[in-house]
Amino acid sequence: MARPKKIGSTLPKRDANVIFTRRAALMSFIGVGVMGTILARMAQLQASDAIGHEYTNAADNNRFDTRIVPPPRGVVYDRFGTVLAQTSKDYQVSIVQNDAPDVVESVRRVAEILGLDSEWARRAVIRVRGGSRYEPQPIREGLTWEEFNAINVRLPELRGVVANSADVRAYPFDVVYAHPIGYVQKPTQRDIDRALADPEQGESRAAYLRNPHVRVGKAGLEASMEETLHGQAGWRKVIVNARGVEMGEDERERREPVAGSGVVLTIDHELQRTAMQSFGDQAGACVVMDIYTGDILVMASTPSFDPNLFVNGIDTATFSQLNTDEKKPLFNKAISGGYPPGSTFKTMVGIAAKQAGVADDWHVGCPGFFSYGGRDFHCWKRGGHGSVDLHRAIRESCDVYFYNAALRAGPERIAAVAREFGLGVAHDVTLPNVLAGLVPDPTWWLAHRHEQWTGGLTVNYGIGQGSLIVTPLQLCVQAARIANNGKAVVPRLVREAPGVTPPRQPPTMTGIAPEHLAQIRGGMYGVCNEGGGTATRAGAMIGLSRRPDGVVVDTAQAPAGSTPLQIAGKTGTSQVRIITAAERARGVISNDQLPWALRDNALFISWGPFDNPRYACAVVIEHGGHTNVEFDAPIVTARVLRETFLRDPANRAAARLAALEPQAGQPARQSV
Amino acid sequence: MTIAAATSSNSLFDRFAKLNWGIITILCILAMIGVAMHFSESASAGDIWTNMPLTHGLRFLMLLSLMILAAMFLDARFWLAIAYPLYAGALLLLLAVTAFGATRLGATRWLDLGPISLQPSELMKVGLVLALARYYHQLDPRRTGTVLWSIPPFLMIGAPAALIMKQPDLGTAMLIVFSGIIIMFVAGLLWRIIIAGAAVGVGGALFAYKYLLHGYQRTRVDVFIGATDDPLGAGYHVLQSKIAIGSAGLFGRGYLQGTQSQLDFLPEKHTDFIFTMIVEQFGFVGGAVVLGLFAALMALSLQVAMRARSLFGKLVSAGVAATLASYVFINTAMVIGLVPVVGVPLPMISFGGTAMTTLMVGFAIVLSVDLRRDQHGARGLLW
Repeated sequence: MARPKKIGSTLPKRDANVIFTRRAALMSFIGVGVMGTILARMAQLQASDAIGHEYTNAADNNRFDTRIVPPPRGVVYDRFGTVLAQTSKDYQVSIVQNDAPDVVESVRRVAEILGLDSEWARRAVIRVRGGSRYEPQPIREGLTWEEFNAINVRLPELRGVVANSADVRAYPFDVVYAHPIGYVQKPTQRDIDRALADPEQGESRAAYLRNPHVRVGKAGLEASMEETLHGQAGWRKVIVNARGVEMGEDERERREPVAGSGVVLTIDHELQRTAMQSFGDQAGACVVMDIYTGDILVMASTPSFDPNLFVNGIDTATFSQLNTDEKKPLFNKAISGGYPPGSTFKTMVGIAAKQAGVADDWHVGCPGFFSYGGRDFHCWKRGGHGSVDLHRAIRESCDVYFYNAALRAGPERIAAVAREFGLGVAHDVTLPNVLAGLVPDPTWWLAHRHEQWTGGLTVNYGIGQGSLIVTPLQLCVQAARIANNGKAVVPRLVREAPGVTPPRQPPTMTGIAPEHLAQIRGGMYGVCNEGGGTATRAGAMIGLSRRPDGVVVDTAQAPAGSTPLQIAGKTGTSQVRIITAAERARGVISNDQLPWALRDNALFISWGPFDNPRYACAVVIEHGGHTNVEFDAPIVTARVLRETFLRDPANRAAARLAALEPQAGQPARQSV
Repeated sequence: MTIAAATSSNSLFDRFAKLNWGIITILCILAMIGVAMHFSESASAGDIWTNMPLTHGLRFLMLLSLMILAAMFLDARFWLAIAYPLYAGALLLLLAVTAFGATRLGATRWLDLGPISLQPSELMKVGLVLALARYYHQLDPRRTGTVLWSIPPFLMIGAPAALIMKQPDLGTAMLIVFSGIIIMFVAGLLWRIIIAGAAVGVGGALFAYKYLLHGYQRTRVDVFIGATDDPLGAGYHVLQSKIAIGSAGLFGRGYLQGTQSQLDFLPEKHTDFIFTMIVEQFGFVGGAVVLGLFAALMALSLQVAMRARSLFGKLVSAGVAATLASYVFINTAMVIGLVPVVGVPLPMISFGGTAMTTLMVGFAIVLSVDLRRDQHGARGLLW
């Protein structure tokens, strides 16, 4: 303390050590207070958790995650057990964003290995970036085993790339069942929004739909039987870390998924395939039905598409190509295609005329046209048929006869008969978008067209033109009800599934006299088997005979004493354009001179065998115009029905029995 | 004290034996807790062979050796001598950081000097303690009780604090201000300045919140005071920390069994939120034990301060204790949601060399002071 005097003596004397000790003690107290506060806060957090468990629950919410396990979808079989739609293993390559430092580079390497173009790579990158950072996002599905291995061996150098397999819906016969079975797809944003809007589904359903492996039915049976086929999702309670990576599982909380129920269709796979092939490149539909059970053995619609394309997302180019094709491959023409029935409708008019009291020997003179209300209605045969009765009018499809018959019957009666035979009715075949078609009558006409019905409309009604709209399915039902002698058989597509009952004995239709039906059937027999019939070529093409032992064989191999197996049918042609008087004067342009979309639709309804009817068939060929000799409607029918008769289970059983019988007398051989 | 005794007390062995082994032991225990927690942290990453626990342990051993050597061979004269140069150097480096510092994680805190990267703000923590201690050491005790002579210390604290705020590093700025004010307080700051300062402090905090804080800092404060609800953003850290502490119970979930920390829900768990990890695994009791160890360390430092004869020694020891207390209390209050998240580690336990180095340099001075507590000190040394 060498220089103490310079500081003003007014300042109080302070002892630094005393002050320090005092203040340090004070600071210590404050420190103890702060530490007490921290301990008290910790105690408070834990005490509040001991009461409400809020933090424990929050910790559990953090670490437990429920992972959805999508159920295997129900298998779809044909009536004999052939698998038509199944769940199979699919090899995929996926990318986990979090493990890939450069997604673009990883995708580029995958594209290089699989030989895919840069456009694919661009989309794949978008796909990856749109998904979760921590879960594998598939970038390419449906790899072949070779491709899968090519990826697998290079995995160490592919950062973030995963080669995995996943359950995926597969349609082994691709185009053959695209329409009746349809396809599944990833749920769309609309599905998710709909689930969110539905109070019974809500967020948990939406979360399920967002799972990248969930698929829902979007067309055909897959859509209409979604609940049956889908099954019940399972779940696993997994322990995850903060990045969502699975670290373990609580096995006790596991629930296995319940597979969707199998569905057996009434379809016969061999017939369906035959039908699909019989159309060539034409657009059309074919329905074959058992006339007693209503079982639909064939529901074909061409051209078709590969439903497998939709399962993992169809690319837009392919989709727009399918969607804009004038032959409408995405459309199930068998149930949703509406066509004027044309001359096939004459069977209905005939019955209506008989009901109206037309005598059996009622003849109409056909000069090739019919004048009514100051207008000429033409017969397809320019020179006319001469004098025709009902049998010949059906056989040769005389328009003039049915103009007169329609006037005798009246539109109400015709409409009533048509509805009785299943036209204008949406038959429930467990499929979406079944068209009801239209059977007009004067009441409907007034209500919807705001006009009085005219006699001219009745005349047109006689040959199945006008606003009449039917579907191939309805035509088949109509043929079946004619063939089974007036039983109101109902079509069905699903043979076995939960909640599906065996078909009831179809009730007998009211007001349809069996003798009238017999006359129609006779006329339809003539169409295929008598001179002048409009489909004798198809009748001849069946080429089957029934041996004396009852087995149906090809006529060429039939022994003596066999009887030919015959079909009956009715052709139809429906115009899609108006033929003007001027054109008629010049000569009607033949169909093969017209653009495809303006040609007539070709129709054929049929049933057989004539002596013991069992199957009915309806074929529509869009704009076929009966020009394509190889693939005309009756020809397609003949191919399908020939196969149908041969594949009839009763016939196959009889054939097997007949094959065993010659050995009956021989020494017994050990059977396998 | 005889000359012989004085000589013998200067022998190397004697000096080693007379080190404050209480402080060294607690430092060792805390560092070992750190190693155990970093092992737990590594185990959660699925790879128990990460080198974090080893690095932590080796770093501690290296610093421990340096600390003991420094305590044995450097006396108060040295610390007194370097106090102002160190402070001035640190201040210059802080200015340099503001001018050309390297930006990491959005904050400009580092100076890149080729292989070494330096955080001048850490240097400043030691420099400020030394500089303030020297200032008061050399000031006439009667002048410490004047307003005029209280202004330089405020400036000495304010200048680096402002520069560090700008980096931006709110946590370190708070640490520096707290420890500096505590040194001024124990040195004998006038009560009326303290009261006025408290008023200015509250106003300043409001001003800072409104005009000086960066967006992310303000968000943290907003979330803390409940002005905004942002559980996945700024509030996420504290929420997960509170979940871990709240669900831990009295004895915790057990070593390596903490779900929040083991499954990575707890962010920054090896640094700022390591206390949460301790509480989750060892419960309230574990947290209290760790806090108790820190309290003991502070108490021992204060004891050193009390029995040091020089004011410099007293103030430096108290300053180191204050720095330690600021670290510990800001960090623990932060992880239990008592103060906003400011990014202050738990010294000796959190991973990373910065806080550990700062603290152990501080304790090297404390040990050095304690070893020579009977020396009257070097008041007037420089004049």
